[in-house]
Amino acid sequence: MSGRGPADKSSFGPARIVLEASAGHPGVKRCTRRRTCVDLTLFQRGLGSGPGQIPADPGEKGSCLLKRYLWRRLGHSILVILGVSAVVFFVIHLTGDPAALLLPMDASPEEVARFREAMGFNDPLYRQYWYFLKKALRGDFGLSLRHQQPSLAMVVERMPATLELTLAALLVALLVAIPLGVASASRRYSLLDNVASVLGLLGQSMPVYWQGIMLILIFSVSLRWLPASGRGGFDHLILPAITLGTYSAATVMRLLRSGLLEILKQDYVRTARSKGLNERVVIYKHALRNALLPVLTVVGLQFGSLLGGAVITETVFAWPGVGRLIFQAINNRDFPLVQAAVFILALIIVTVNFLTDILYTYLDPRVRYS
Amino acid sequence: MVLVLALLVVALAGCGGGSGEKKESGTPAKSGPSGQVVVAQGVDATTMDPAMHAETPTGNIQRNIFDPLIQRNREMKLEPGLALSWKTLDDRTWEIVLRQGVKFHDGTPFTAKDVKFTLERIINPDQKSPRRSNLEAIEKVEIVDDYKVKITTKAPYPILPARLADELIVPADYVKKVGDAEFAKKPIGTGPYKFVKWVKDDQVVLEANTEYWRGAPAIKTVIFRPIPETSTRIAELQTGAVDIIVNVPPDQVQTLESGANTRVSTAPSARVIFIGFVTNKGGPLANPKVRQAINYAVDVDSIIKNILKGNGYRVASPLTTAHFGYDPTVKPYPYDPAKAKALLKEAGYPDGLELTMDSPNGRYLMDKEIAEAVVGQLAQVGIKVKLNVLEWGVYVKKIMAKELTGMYLLGWGNTTFDADGTLYPLLRSGQRFSYYENPKLDKLLDEARSIIDEKKRLADYQEAVKIINQDAAWLFLHQQRDIYGVSKRLDWEARPDELLWMYEAKLK
Repeated sequence: MSGRGPADKSSFGPARIVLEASAGHPGVKRCTRRRTCVDLTLFQRGLGSGPGQIPADPGEKGSCLLKRYLWRRLGHSILVILGVSAVVFFVIHLTGDPAALLLPMDASPEEVARFREAMGFNDPLYRQYWYFLKKALRGDFGLSLRHQQPSLAMVVERMPATLELTLAALLVALLVAIPLGVASASRRYSLLDNVASVLGLLGQSMPVYWQGIMLILIFSVSLRWLPASGRGGFDHLILPAITLGTYSAATVMRLLRSGLLEILKQDYVRTARSKGLNERVVIYKHALRNALLPVLTVVGLQFGSLLGGAVITETVFAWPGVGRLIFQAINNRDFPLVQAAVFILALIIVTVNFLTDILYTYLDPRVRYS
Repeated sequence: MVLVLALLVVALAGCGGGSGEKKESGTPAKSGPSGQVVVAQGVDATTMDPAMHAETPTGNIQRNIFDPLIQRNREMKLEPGLALSWKTLDDRTWEIVLRQGVKFHDGTPFTAKDVKFTLERIINPDQKSPRRSNLEAIEKVEIVDDYKVKITTKAPYPILPARLADELIVPADYVKKVGDAEFAKKPIGTGPYKFVKWVKDDQVVLEANTEYWRGAPAIKTVIFRPIPETSTRIAELQTGAVDIIVNVPPDQVQTLESGANTRVSTAPSARVIFIGFVTNKGGPLANPKVRQAINYAVDVDSIIKNILKGNGYRVASPLTTAHFGYDPTVKPYPYDPAKAKALLKEAGYPDGLELTMDSPNGRYLMDKEIAEAVVGQLAQVGIKVKLNVLEWGVYVKKIMAKELTGMYLLGWGNTTFDADGTLYPLLRSGQRFSYYENPKLDKLLDEARSIIDEKKRLADYQEAVKIINQDAAWLFLHQQRDIYGVSKRLDWEARPDELLWMYEAKLK
């Protein structure tokens, strides 16, 4: 869904209207499968409703559109997950041979052949994919080749750790970005603003790997303030969360800053100021709420990249999460495990994006579903 | 929004496991084991079932929970473990006398039926054990009485004791009772440490078995933590949170040696690094003179000194001094670029030639760097080498599919410490990793693996090694030196077989 601004008429455009009169009630709208939802009273009044003209009884049409939108998004999401899983399946099967990686180096050729046969690797690829899909739809992603345990269970087992890290990183990002973004927008060109801009640039350019190790060297080895790795209490969470959250913090801060600067130039802000409102109220009560909307979208999207970036952070900090698991699984060509992990991650990302979109349209009344 | 996030984080952190346990200081052992030691490897165990993996890090953890029949001492010589003695009754039959009075951690006694169960379980195709090929030579295992077992092999198999040294004995009754899946999560063995808990990818906690048949271990709690990133492992050692770390790169040795709480322990590895030649697809590498020229053209000592900072031992053949079959009279090729050029001229390449080389990246210590150095040195005698650096999974696939042409960098570690485990798969015609065909060598290798007479075997292998060296089947590089980081409060030294057997360790 693209965020639509005001005055986008295309959803009301004549090309897409289909008349569907219900017996005896010419003004009633109907949501059918193949037609767009439309308010027929609008049609009666004449086409080409201009911007700002609110159609009669928007609630009913709204919920009709919403239902349609939800179904379409659901369909898209399923397609995305299927597509991702198919691509990963074929790519990983074509790039390596787990038999070579999992058996001892001096296993005999017969042993390797026996292993491949037992795992079904001698079937043509499309047939292997078909078996995989059949079992996956029942929730069975097979046993991990290396660990000999159910793959899906292994991924789910490590999910809380990754989620903990990702959410903590997001928290860190927001705690840093929002105050800093607001402060630098409201004090443009000040020292604070310049420093914040530089920090923002640094945050987006620093490689996660380097940053993680530097933090360990400073705070664990030199200062002995925090543990260097592993998962435990809050003190174990601090360094990894900072490492993972830095990029998001920088992104959100810069977005917020530029959004706020834009908004602070708007007419309604000028009106609020001329009403005599204190600047603080202007910013926090009026400007910030609007500036936060694109931030919300970005945060939702960032969640996906945080889950991906967790791979490096988890490896550096020996954090027992899914990122680390999937990295090792790929190196070992542990097909069932890779598939299960990709599926779960895709599911989470698609769901979060979906929820973000819904939330956004709920919060911004100007936006309509397409 | 921020509040919601914060609440979620708190909730999840509550479910977190803990490497946050406080470390006890090592109190002097008055009675019974005391103290805690943490060991950091690069990866976690995959299972607690000795039959269902073929990996060193997993084996290292299990080795503390279980015992093998035969074990190696620090000089890599075989000595009694759960077996008191072993001898051959004839060419294909071995009799093994078992130790009495040993108990598993649940109190049940160790007897011959556990040995039969363990070995047959690994050999059973339905078990799908990745270690199956280690025991393929065994035809049957028979119980003579409670403490005596007879093993019959399909053909004379001189390295059976070496193979048995790698297999850990599991309790037949317990495994049958709880099933494989449960056993893989909650193991019971005869070893010096009992399993306490396993938090996946975080830690394995073991506790001293005070009833251990050799006597209680000195250290009470042993924790294995998987820390994939080298720098993080080193940092943990420096903060004192971890006591032993594996795979320290040569450039960190100085830092650890000069640290207040840290030191370094090294051991000659069983692994040899070499550059193989594809000799059976024609081209320049099929000509022994070209291969010898390459050996003369590379300054291996300089590579060991500068790239590995001295952490390697020069080899003249695929074997190390610890391997049975080693021939001390075979010397490495001296560095002689002039001789290399002369040999190339004799072979018909006065103006040099072009070759390709494949190398992995990060699989072995400094593998890519060594390959690059070799390319540079060969260029100086007129051999232009195109280097392909490949990801390990892709590289192995290429090797096994026999798709290599030209030169290839590889490492080979053989924990049977017997020439057969190295020479046969790597150099006998038709074998999985072999790109070399020499009928004389084949005859020697086939004979040596099928007779029991040690003297004759040694003679065969020494002759084989001479052939391999003189025919320059490989570009011989070095034997690796494993570098471990150790806390100064721990009395422990590294072993050539990479085992982390905590029974040998003591807190100072």
